[in-house]
Amino acid sequence: MLGRGIGRRGFLASSAALAAGAAVSGPLAGRALAQAGRDELKIGLLTSLSGPFAALGESMRTGLQLHLQGVGGSLAGRPVRLIVEDDHAKPEEGVRKVRKLLTQDGVDIVCGVVHSGVALSIRDVLASANALTFISNGSANNLARKAASRFIFRPTKTNWMLGSTAGTWAAEKISKKNAITIAADYAAGREYVEDFIGAYKAGGGQVARQMWTPFGTTDFAPLLTDIAMAKPDLVYCFFAGSDAVRFLQQWQDYRLAGRIPLIGTGAVFDQEDVLPAVGPGIKGAVNAFHQSPTAPAPGAQAFVELYRKAHGRLPGEMSTSGYATGQVIAAAVDAVQGDLTNKDKVRDAVLALDLQTAYGPMRFDPANNQAILDVYINEVRVGSDGKPVNQVVHAYPKVSDPGDKA
Amino acid sequence: MEYVVIQSINALVFAVILLMSGLGLTVVMSLMNFINLAHGSLVLLGSYVAVFWLAIGAPWYLAFPAAFLSGAVAGAVLDRFPFRLFYARTHLMQVLLTFGLSVVFADLMRWGFGAGVATPRLPDVLRGVVFILDTPFPVYRLFVLGAGALLALGLWYLFDRTIWGAVVRACVVDRGAVESLGINTQHVFTLVLALACGLGALSGALGSGIMAAYPGLDEEVLILAFIVVVVGGLGSFSGLALSSLVLGFAMTFSKMIDPEFSNLMSLGAAAAILIVRPNGLVAPVTRQV
Repeated sequence: MLGRGIGRRGFLASSAALAAGAAVSGPLAGRALAQAGRDELKIGLLTSLSGPFAALGESMRTGLQLHLQGVGGSLAGRPVRLIVEDDHAKPEEGVRKVRKLLTQDGVDIVCGVVHSGVALSIRDVLASANALTFISNGSANNLARKAASRFIFRPTKTNWMLGSTAGTWAAEKISKKNAITIAADYAAGREYVEDFIGAYKAGGGQVARQMWTPFGTTDFAPLLTDIAMAKPDLVYCFFAGSDAVRFLQQWQDYRLAGRIPLIGTGAVFDQEDVLPAVGPGIKGAVNAFHQSPTAPAPGAQAFVELYRKAHGRLPGEMSTSGYATGQVIAAAVDAVQGDLTNKDKVRDAVLALDLQTAYGPMRFDPANNQAILDVYINEVRVGSDGKPVNQVVHAYPKVSDPGDKA
Repeated sequence: MEYVVIQSINALVFAVILLMSGLGLTVVMSLMNFINLAHGSLVLLGSYVAVFWLAIGAPWYLAFPAAFLSGAVAGAVLDRFPFRLFYARTHLMQVLLTFGLSVVFADLMRWGFGAGVATPRLPDVLRGVVFILDTPFPVYRLFVLGAGALLALGLWYLFDRTIWGAVVRACVVDRGAVESLGINTQHVFTLVLALACGLGALSGALGSGIMAAYPGLDEEVLILAFIVVVVGGLGSFSGLALSSLVLGFAMTFSKMIDPEFSNLMSLGAAAAILIVRPNGLVAPVTRQV
């Protein structure tokens, strides 16, 4: 049985329904009653349903719901009630909502989080409450290092895992000299570039220039003109959401596509949120990512098929993150037969997992509870339907964050 | 040399984007003394209309009139209710009303057009490049440059050189006197608001090829529009044109010097202008009768 938490929107919608005296409230109330009581497993999903990451947050929720539907709405015999809260992509709102999930709703498990800043800000609240937590996306390196915590697991990548892999690939396969980096100037962008440069230099590469653009840059033209004149051997980029679309669009407008090798990490070439809006003109660009619609792993292929059937398009990182989080939670709950009272036992169960997830094979590093994942090198190619698709051209198996050693 | 030329054209294009987003705002502000914080929503509406128009394969050149029309219709409806009730009220009340509406519109558009990022499928004519001093430059940006400049010129002519513009300006100074000549001033205001909202939507349609369309663009554009309008001098056409140029060049050249601090530099320039000239670059002559 699938429940929906009542967030701000849910509240508005249901009050509107009540005000209108609509019959909709009937079935809603019935469902709530049916869920109440006995052996319910409450999962709190904290995600961004408004603000700049709204589209990402919705995809994450869609992915998790798809998984819960697949297992019939119950885990290890306990009916699951999913309570969704919106953090507005704001750290302070995230803290408020996590407190609400823990104290008011009394959830057994907290999961989700799109924004790294939110993940870092709620860390202390979760750690002091010893809450079982699965961070689905917020990928700040620090959560696998100084801020790692006993019951906080992260079934996704760290920024280091992607940035350094891109650096290694770029130095080995593209060019060792005259590289330019360009990225959005916030925490994630800084980490992605720093880790890229670290690995790129270790591979013998030389960076000519670093460019930082404010979050939400409208016009990249001056920078693209700079790049066109500088004629670098490669450009490494990181942007997310609308910045990524605009950067890649304008990259084509200024005819840099195909003339200057472009490599990126993370969300910049996301299959679901970015590539459809950018179109096939960006073909040939390369990205290091832990998710790909063409990942050969059987778990990834099964998920792509399932998602395509359900939504008619290829999944990107966010929907995959929601689904994979569901898979990890399900495996952990199954391993302890649904009994979450002894958290140390749950922790041991999670650390012992060897899963085929929607990303691909996943295990957890006992040193920091961080997932160890395959990182793919994707090349953007044009599919038979004329749409751009991330094609895996190489895989770096079992990439793990160095943790405190970094 | 060629570098400076290209960057100057980039700056001009951005100046025109700023100018267009400020046009609708300044028309309403100067001629009707009405502050419309829902202006960004109309810009975003125009972007979406253009994106969807081009996606269905209808003639591309009609996408821009279609966007203008959608904005104008929305403006005419909004004028009936609830804007008309607020024209005579304080600015604070207008701000509260229109800000609230902008939040409602943002949610409605997210529901109707989706939360993803949409880009227009431009026709091949506009997708090409021209070579300026051997450097490829997107045709679409030149198209936006020309369209925006024409728009501003046309608007200036309409308000400053035609009898219709004279009526509108007279309405602002003394509504009673205009009515005594047998002119229905309520209709005049409806037309001005529809025109301003149409302009907002048209600027969104033209800008969508550069900025894309997505939830949140409305706020970003509104902030930019307010900056140029305030720096130019509330409700002054020539001031708006001048401040768009100044800020367009400031924002572009600051990105060349150090992109990391581009916002600091360009907004610092805007703040400096306001310190020296608190009423904006060109302060309009205010008359009380």
